[in-house]
Amino acid sequence: MTKPVQSDTTSTEDERARQRFILEDTGFDEVPKKYRKFYRKWKATGDALAPNEVICPVCKVVIRSSRELRPGDRVYCMPCMSRLIVVRTDAGTLEAHVAY
Amino acid sequence: MPVRAPEPSSGDIHDLEPQQFLEEVHSFEFWFQAVEGYLSGLTWGHRPDTPDEPLVPADRERLISVLCNYCVGETAALEGSSGLIAIAPNRLSKIFLSTQVADEGRHLEVFVRRLRDLGVADPEAEIERRASRSLLLFKRRLLELVASKDWEAAIFAQNVILESLEFVVFTSHAEDADPVTAEVLKAVIKDERRHIGFGENELGRRLADSPHSRARIAQIRKELDHLVLDTLEETSGNIGLDRSEHDRLGRVYLESVERLGLLR
Repeated sequence: MTKPVQSDTTSTEDERARQRFILEDTGFDEVPKKYRKFYRKWKATGDALAPNEVICPVCKVVIRSSRELRPGDRVYCMPCMSRLIVVRTDAGTLEAHVAY
Repeated sequence: MPVRAPEPSSGDIHDLEPQQFLEEVHSFEFWFQAVEGYLSGLTWGHRPDTPDEPLVPADRERLISVLCNYCVGETAALEGSSGLIAIAPNRLSKIFLSTQVADEGRHLEVFVRRLRDLGVADPEAEIERRASRSLLLFKRRLLELVASKDWEAAIFAQNVILESLEFVVFTSHAEDADPVTAEVLKAVIKDERRHIGFGENELGRRLADSPHSRARIAQIRKELDHLVLDTLEETSGNIGLDRSEHDRLGRVYLESVERLGLLR
């Protein structure tokens, strides 16, 4: 589960404060234990991404951050070793693009 | 001294510096702790108490053909990745490939074991008898690229093309396979994530640094594509996928090629 806990008030002035999240282990077992809470499996039907989550385009795992994600943020997919940049799509959703 | 990944002060893994991230995920230590999480407690790639349901003869025949060709693919990747260690351009790639060699050896072993479970007395002979011609040609070409010490082309053929094909086929097959085969495949898929990610990211970084290589790699894609798509067609038929699922797999396979700018 992803639980929002507070807002980060250290953001720049032109940014709405970011939500913060406490991440819990979702049973994702493809990375060492200390990193597991940062990833979960996409459940397809009925699943939805939280504001702190994006899908890795390379391996389709859900990547999670302790912060609400914004365009320009960097995230890492450890299961497939990809570095990604968060972008906003034309549809208004967040998407991760590989940054080689 | 290798740079170990420290806990970022924020506690968020995404705050690591890129080089720290690369050092961490390419390490043998990372690999060991990762595979321990999902292989611990398995015997020959599945839980010992998973029921091995008897298959009707036609399904068993098709599964044997599919597994024989998985063995051809895994043998190609085993021989390819072990050969690539010698020409890998840096320490991180060499160490990562050493973990991939271990993965591929395990995959080959569990698929051969599954063939024996299905009553195949001589798996090596059966693999030779049922191997797809397209896949054998692909394997031969991959090993030629490795032998010619063409790092970029060989990584593309193996970790982008072959691994992407395996990833999409295994994922689809696992959804509809018998319980034991499904468990074996699901553990293999977890390894394949690392392999496809390594290939795409390594090649992506190199193409970004030397864009002139893109045309050469695109030419190799053209040469190998029909072998891969023929293999996909044969395997899709044997695992009983309908046309729409087969087409979807073809599109998924091409996604990484497209991200690398090699579709043209």
